[in-house]
Amino acid sequence: MMAVKWILFAVLSSVCFNISLQDEICSSPSVTSNIYTTTDGVILSDIAFIAELVVTCQNGVKDLALYADVDGVTIPAMKSLDNNKYQVSWTEVPKKVQDGVRILRMYDEEGYSALRKVQRSGEDTSSIRPLFTVTINHQGTYQGPWVQSELIAVLLAMFLWYLAYSTKSRIQS
Amino acid sequence: MFFRYLCAVVLLVAACGVSSGEDETVARLLVHKRILNRFLVEGKDLVVDYNIYNVGGSAALDVHIVDNGFPEDDFEVVIGMLKIKLDRVGPGNNVTHTVVVRPRSYGFYNFTAAEVTYLPSEVAQDVQIGYTSEPGEGGIAAIREFDRKFSPHVMDWIAFAVMTLPSLGIPLLLWYGSKSKYEAIIKQSKKH
Amino acid sequence: MAGGKKALTKEEELLLQDFSRNVSTKSSALFYGNAFIVSAIPIWLFWRIHQMDPYQSAILFVVVTLVSTWLVAFAYKNVKFVLKHKVAQKREEAVTREIMKKLVDDKKMSKKEKDERILWKKNEVADYEATTFSIFYNNVLFLMLVIIASFYVLSSFQPGINYIISVGTAGGLLALFSTGSQ
Repeated sequence: MMAVKWILFAVLSSVCFNISLQDEICSSPSVTSNIYTTTDGVILSDIAFIAELVVTCQNGVKDLALYADVDGVTIPAMKSLDNNKYQVSWTEVPKKVQDGVRILRMYDEEGYSALRKVQRSGEDTSSIRPLFTVTINHQGTYQGPWVQSELIAVLLAMFLWYLAYSTKSRIQS
Repeated sequence: MFFRYLCAVVLLVAACGVSSGEDETVARLLVHKRILNRFLVEGKDLVVDYNIYNVGGSAALDVHIVDNGFPEDDFEVVIGMLKIKLDRVGPGNNVTHTVVVRPRSYGFYNFTAAEVTYLPSEVAQDVQIGYTSEPGEGGIAAIREFDRKFSPHVMDWIAFAVMTLPSLGIPLLLWYGSKSKYEAIIKQSKKH
Repeated sequence: MAGGKKALTKEEELLLQDFSRNVSTKSSALFYGNAFIVSAIPIWLFWRIHQMDPYQSAILFVVVTLVSTWLVAFAYKNVKFVLKHKVAQKREEAVTREIMKKLVDDKKMSKKEKDERILWKKNEVADYEATTFSIFYNNVLFLMLVIIASFYVLSSFQPGINYIISVGTAGGLLALFSTGSQ
């Protein structure tokens, strides 16, 4: 009887243990990020913001489902085929892009459902702590030279010619 | 006879219903692959955007997108993954993914479709294979041609100005020297 | 004058020089030299900004530069001729004073000789000022025309055609305007 109870206990606890592993909560994640924003507004029709992340969990959990929240917009993270990297990316219209820092609040599956609940009820979303945050800095979009250099050249040339012409007229007067 | 006929019709309709794709319980992904460039220029950023729409009635699971259309010989990957997976795309949702590459040379290039695989429902055993849209052929401009049109050439203009200085400056100064000398003589004499 | 074989006096020589458009070899060299330099300068713009390959277009550059040199030198000569008289008129008084001041203590020189000196000096100053100003003025005009033509009027043309027409027309217009001045 005792043996059966112990066996049952062992089985149940191992099942529980397995279940808790499958909860996939990442503890103390260390993140290395590779950030890029495109800056050429002449060649490109949209500006791309991309963050490639390598997330190492202290408890070895991999293959997380990550969601990024950027200024209220949710962007699910893509995963690499070998489970090593995650990528968050989006695009914006060059004319409306704001320079400066954006903060990506990264949530795991649990955090994300909590976030959605809070969003639906209209409460302050800062109460849900993200798993980690990533900052993206957009330095500015190049929209082309602000003045054409040949315009300056031609205006200068015409000005000089005008001075020369008036001097010539004076000589010939 | 009539019943057999009726059964056949019912079966046919049912079959149509099942294969129509309007089925409520199957996911269907449409992936729109676009190149977000106004100009394709050698050595400059080329932004590839994948827009994943689930137009089906249930979530698509274990979505994989593999893009072999940017071989290492022709393109340098700046950032972003050309092979990705995503656990779930809900029904009616859309998700985007972006990659930045740079063409290594100029010329015409055929931008091909990437391969998409996913499980169309939770109970599905067979992976559904599809393709993204094809951006088609694009012309990648040589850096020279692009520079010619778009670079401001400030240094070149400054060099030009410097080059014209002797041709303009020397005759002007020589003339002005003589002119002021003789006008000064007149002025002086007028004073006395 | 009786005889007809008498040598021209210095005065008459100077007057002849005044009224002829012929220039001395020194002047010619100056004109062609400056015309060549200013005609060659646009090559830089076409090489760097219009991206014309200098090696491929070398022959084109040389031919157009030479044609332009001739046209610009022609313009120099004409403008100088037009200006010289006016400058001479303006400098008459000042030159007279200058020479008189220099020769005030020279009692041996006759008035005629002093006058000749003044005439000669006046001619020289007028020549000098007219030459330098003509070069300056035509250079400014030429470069302005080249810039307007190649970057605004002909900007959509192929660089080679752009070059020929811009520089050719600038030189041509320079020559044309120089004949028109009063």
